[in-house]
Amino acid sequence: MDFLLSLSKRIDQLSEWIGKWVAWLVLASVLVSAANAISRKAFNLSSNAFLEIQWYMFAAVFMLAAGYTLMRQEHVKIDVVSGRFSKRTQIWIDIAGICFFLFPFVIYIIKLAMPLVINAYVTQEMSSNAGGLIRWPVFAMLPLGMLFLGIQGISELIKRFAFLQGMIPDPSKKQGAKTPEEEFAEFLLQKEVAAREAAQIGAQK
Amino acid sequence: MTEFLIANMAPIMFVSLIIFLMFGYAVTFSLAACGLFFGFVGVELGVIQASFLQSLPLRMFGIMQNDTLLAIPFFTFMGLILERSGMAEDLLDTIGQLFGPIRGGLAYAVIFVGAMLAATTGVVAASVISMGLISLPIMLRYGYDRRIAGGVIAASGTLAQIIPPSLVLIVLADQLGKSVGDLYKGAFIPGFVLTGLYVGYIVLISFIRPQWVPALPLEARTIKESDGSSGLRSLSILTVISVAMSVAFAKWLPDTTPTDETIVVSMCVGVGFAFFAAIVNKATKMGLLSNMAERVTFVLIPPLALIFLVLGTIFLGIATPTEGGAMGAVGALVMALARNRIDMKLIRQAMDSTMKLSCFVLFILIGATVFSLAFQGVDGPIWVEHLLSGLPGGQMGFLIVVNILVFVLAFFLDFFELAFIIIPLIGPVAEKLGIDLVWFGVLLAVNMQTSFMHPPFGFALFYLRSVAPAEDYIDKVTKQPVKKITIEQIYWGAVPFVIIQIIMVALIIAFPGLVSSGQSKEPTVDAEAVLMQMRADTATDAAAEAAQTSDADQVDPVKALMESMKEDQGKKP
Repeated sequence: MDFLLSLSKRIDQLSEWIGKWVAWLVLASVLVSAANAISRKAFNLSSNAFLEIQWYMFAAVFMLAAGYTLMRQEHVKIDVVSGRFSKRTQIWIDIAGICFFLFPFVIYIIKLAMPLVINAYVTQEMSSNAGGLIRWPVFAMLPLGMLFLGIQGISELIKRFAFLQGMIPDPSKKQGAKTPEEEFAEFLLQKEVAAREAAQIGAQK
Repeated sequence: MTEFLIANMAPIMFVSLIIFLMFGYAVTFSLAACGLFFGFVGVELGVIQASFLQSLPLRMFGIMQNDTLLAIPFFTFMGLILERSGMAEDLLDTIGQLFGPIRGGLAYAVIFVGAMLAATTGVVAASVISMGLISLPIMLRYGYDRRIAGGVIAASGTLAQIIPPSLVLIVLADQLGKSVGDLYKGAFIPGFVLTGLYVGYIVLISFIRPQWVPALPLEARTIKESDGSSGLRSLSILTVISVAMSVAFAKWLPDTTPTDETIVVSMCVGVGFAFFAAIVNKATKMGLLSNMAERVTFVLIPPLALIFLVLGTIFLGIATPTEGGAMGAVGALVMALARNRIDMKLIRQAMDSTMKLSCFVLFILIGATVFSLAFQGVDGPIWVEHLLSGLPGGQMGFLIVVNILVFVLAFFLDFFELAFIIIPLIGPVAEKLGIDLVWFGVLLAVNMQTSFMHPPFGFALFYLRSVAPAEDYIDKVTKQPVKKITIEQIYWGAVPFVIIQIIMVALIIAFPGLVSSGQSKEPTVDAEAVLMQMRADTATDAAAEAAQTSDADQVDPVKALMESMKEDQGKKP
């Protein structure tokens, strides 16, 4: 089990690393899209390559980050029913979900997608738009993203079994301790609200 | 047994989907697993051809190429940056001071700011949290009824979901196969009518239960002149002049200008004038304008500028919704940087949250695609169509049943799940019944807005709960003890607004004209104007749509096949 747990830790580190770098593509695609819109209007200058790189980047964001998102427990669940069960039952539900829902899906999609990616690579398929980009890198995001997802699934599975044996704390809690909303609320409380209250007290005096 | 299975695959599959979802594992994988399971069963039973599922990766490539959905990360990122920029807080502060001294004033301020924020961004959490932290304590300090205070904050936050640019409308447009711009235009008037209904509710309360929404004492106002006067006269004069200039400009524009363009451009003129006056006043220290007038002008400029940058450019046909989102995101970044309110850590956080949200949304779509492909394989859409088009009352019966269905499902599902699972099933039926899909989309968006307010899972309530005072405390200004807000108070506060939402749904059904349709049907509009409008519309979306359709045709042979089949069926009777 120790070996498995260290494997799981490695996988988590990998996903963390991927998530950290892929996130930059969000900013990049925003900037490219805005720049493209402005240059198209202002200078009548635009190219299909710029239009296509936007969705290439977005595809990379949501495909490659699938494993990271799984690790962060951000793929939403409907816990109307399962929320009433005990923690152990919920963990068993997760285990069943990973084994019977997640893995077959990941494997099947990789199996179907790989021949298409290889074909696109061999034929060097290009975009049908003039000045468009080569296709296989973006097609490759699909099996690659699924692969990351599957690997992270293994880590999640290990963590859940380890929890059942009492070796680690609850893995299904959202990591990173705070949601962005919580952090935002805290930020507001510290800076804004305090300053405003002080101003009001000052005004009253 | 096998025959029974084959004959009833579609209903069995649909019921199984509910079981798969309620099982409690991630929605996206439950959807996909349900689809794959029935896909294999279908192949085994000979209902589906083995090659049918082969087109799955092609469909997923199609999702990756979807230009419309690219707007989701852009608007999310924009919202996240904006919530840190301090714009919401400034607005709440100033508008609260402005309206505060009238009865129900703080509630009006919350609704107004909620609508304003909604028109700049599409994120619910930000508005609710800001308002919960800044306006709620003030409301409690001066003795607002807790249910009213909580309800109005949660509901005003959800306006972000119906007033463009909202994520709901983007997703709905994509699923219904309509342009985002059309849905934005359609949702414009309903969004403001809804805001008006919220205001109407507060007006009603201020007459029948004045003690629930007290006016603030005048001492609570900190923005005032050095001689102690409120400075409202100066503000009203400025307002009158600005409005007059807008109206004059609108009249001066040629009659052929499309309505939305007239509104946008004229508003810019009026606001530009007010801004100019405020700048001159500040620079020359002439004291022509009161402090209040100056503050209100300055605080309104950033959101109005962003609204123009995003909605204005989309409506004028300068930018596609996707580009509008990107420009808005850059605008928000610039604004936050200019105010020195953002650092690398916050940008990282915003990117991280945007990435996770995009991933979870797009994966629900991917899961739903697997499901719907298999569902098509077992002739599910035909079953749904028979079920829904056979309802008594034709169109009206269909609308009532669908709305009740969505309303009930909104208790359990959030709108992304609703949109990706339900819309592909009911959209085609609606079209076949002759319902305008833009109108239908706006109707559903108003209905789905309740999924944020439904106790006990509504997100807006959940966010409000997380920032509302959970313990009794001593107010810092008045030094009086204030009681905490209980979860029941928040729930009960939301109920009237859920009812308002139902009223709004009924209004849209009763007066379809509320949703201005892309293909203006009113005979009163002269042909020239329609033509201009159409030209503007096509300019907006031509590029995006052309790219999309050609791509979609290439990648998605199955879908194309299904569609042509549907068309054939449509011709037969």
